[in-house]
Amino acid sequence: MITLQNVTKTYKNGTVALRDASVEITKGEFVFLVGTSGSGKSTFIRLLNKEETPEKGHIYVAGKDIGQLSSWKVPFLRRNIGCIFQDFKLLPSKTVFENVAFALEVIGRPRSVVQTQVPAILDLVGLGHKASNFPDELSGGEQQRVSVARAFVNRPLILLADEPTGNLDPATSVGIMRLLDRINKTGTTVVMATHDRGIVDTMRRRVIEIDRGTIVRDQARGVYE
Amino acid sequence: MPMKVDYVVRETTSNLGRNLSITIASVLTVFVSLVLVGSSLMLRTAVENATQRWQGGIEFVVYLNTTASQDQIDSIARALDDSPEVEGYTYFDQEASYEEFKRLFADSPEMVDSVTAEDLPPSFRVKPVNKDADSVRSLSDTFRERAGVRDVILASKTIQLIQDMSRSLTLIIVVVALGLLFVAGLLILNTIRMAMFARRREIEVMKLVGATNWFIRVPFMLEGLVQGLIGALSAIGALILIRPVFEGWLPKASEIPLVSGFTVGTGSLIGIYLLLAVVGALVGTIGAGVAVTRFLDV
Repeated sequence: MITLQNVTKTYKNGTVALRDASVEITKGEFVFLVGTSGSGKSTFIRLLNKEETPEKGHIYVAGKDIGQLSSWKVPFLRRNIGCIFQDFKLLPSKTVFENVAFALEVIGRPRSVVQTQVPAILDLVGLGHKASNFPDELSGGEQQRVSVARAFVNRPLILLADEPTGNLDPATSVGIMRLLDRINKTGTTVVMATHDRGIVDTMRRRVIEIDRGTIVRDQARGVYE
Repeated sequence: MPMKVDYVVRETTSNLGRNLSITIASVLTVFVSLVLVGSSLMLRTAVENATQRWQGGIEFVVYLNTTASQDQIDSIARALDDSPEVEGYTYFDQEASYEEFKRLFADSPEMVDSVTAEDLPPSFRVKPVNKDADSVRSLSDTFRERAGVRDVILASKTIQLIQDMSRSLTLIIVVVALGLLFVAGLLILNTIRMAMFARRREIEVMKLVGATNWFIRVPFMLEGLVQGLIGALSAIGALILIRPVFEGWLPKASEIPLVSGFTVGTGSLIGIYLLLAVVGALVGTIGAGVAVTRFLDV
């Protein structure tokens, strides 16, 4: 599903964010990326949906070499990838329903699809009853659920999560992780960057540790350290 | 890709409303510059219309009697051919004169109806080698007494003055208007940039979930187009309103001899209006296009 072959990424200021990284992630896997801040976890994620372009090496996502992808095809790559972030990135002027529906509308899905898919996904994340609330009326955990719903409403093959629990308390984080686990069980590949030790240690999934741009550990059913 | 019309309309109108003051500024700039362009084009057309017979160095016209025989016509043509002082000439027979008359008075069908080709005199439009007033006069006098000639009319200083003035006036107005159009383009660019800034979160999410670049761009491009078009349409409306005033202000045909009415034909008016609409739309789209490619990193 995701293959990195000797990928190096250097930023303009000279920072080496990723050095000669090679990783193979198969369909349906759940992978934690761990490491200190600035170790290159976010770059890893951003390379996968082509927010960044690698300097060297090849990246294959869903069988396509995305280094060769022309810019007008990038949106179609991203339709196969859902993204969630530490800061949720919800639109404050839109309701919960509208936030999720927006993801379908802007890729041209017909209204009938929007009307059936959005309530279904909101029920899945347990927010069916808050569909007409605005984001600032929700707790942090609820807002992150909305962002998960938005990322997953288009049934992507891959879900990328960059510190999704970074702004949440431990109890709420557990709820979000259960949700991601359920999504993973539907066959979606999940790649999650985190430095939440508790989560990594309890989930016992594959762990890839990055240290100053280099992959130092790749362990099935791993722990944080 | 299916792009929903209602989505695009909603986005465009809400953007236009959001930055109302600067939108009005750009629309007004387009409006003023296009009114200037339009009125200078109208002035130019009117002058060209009025002095049509005197364009391209024609200094005098030999009008023949409507009854002039072919022999008389031929002998004048030969004299013109033989004269070393004549650089060139054009012969207008009655049919050609009638065509010209119809064109010049296209806006007064009753005038055209009252005249037939037989009523109009054939004429030679003569372009002399030497253009100074005395030699033109003495050359023209040699034709005045020939058989079949009804009259010889010289281009007056007035006509040259009118032509020169309209040329430089048009040039000045067009330069000013082009400057204003450039300003209008910049203002539109800035409006679009502000609209994009106001919606940067939405744009970010759209990119994230895989909206195509054109889907993101089109509402902004349309916004620029609408601003340009509104400016152009109001300019056209203003020109329609001021056209009677404009034509009334220009001298009447009877006040200046030798010219045929300062009018702007409906045909050329429609051409001018279309041109203004196209220019307005272009300025808007180009302004927005630059903004979209420069600042909408998609």
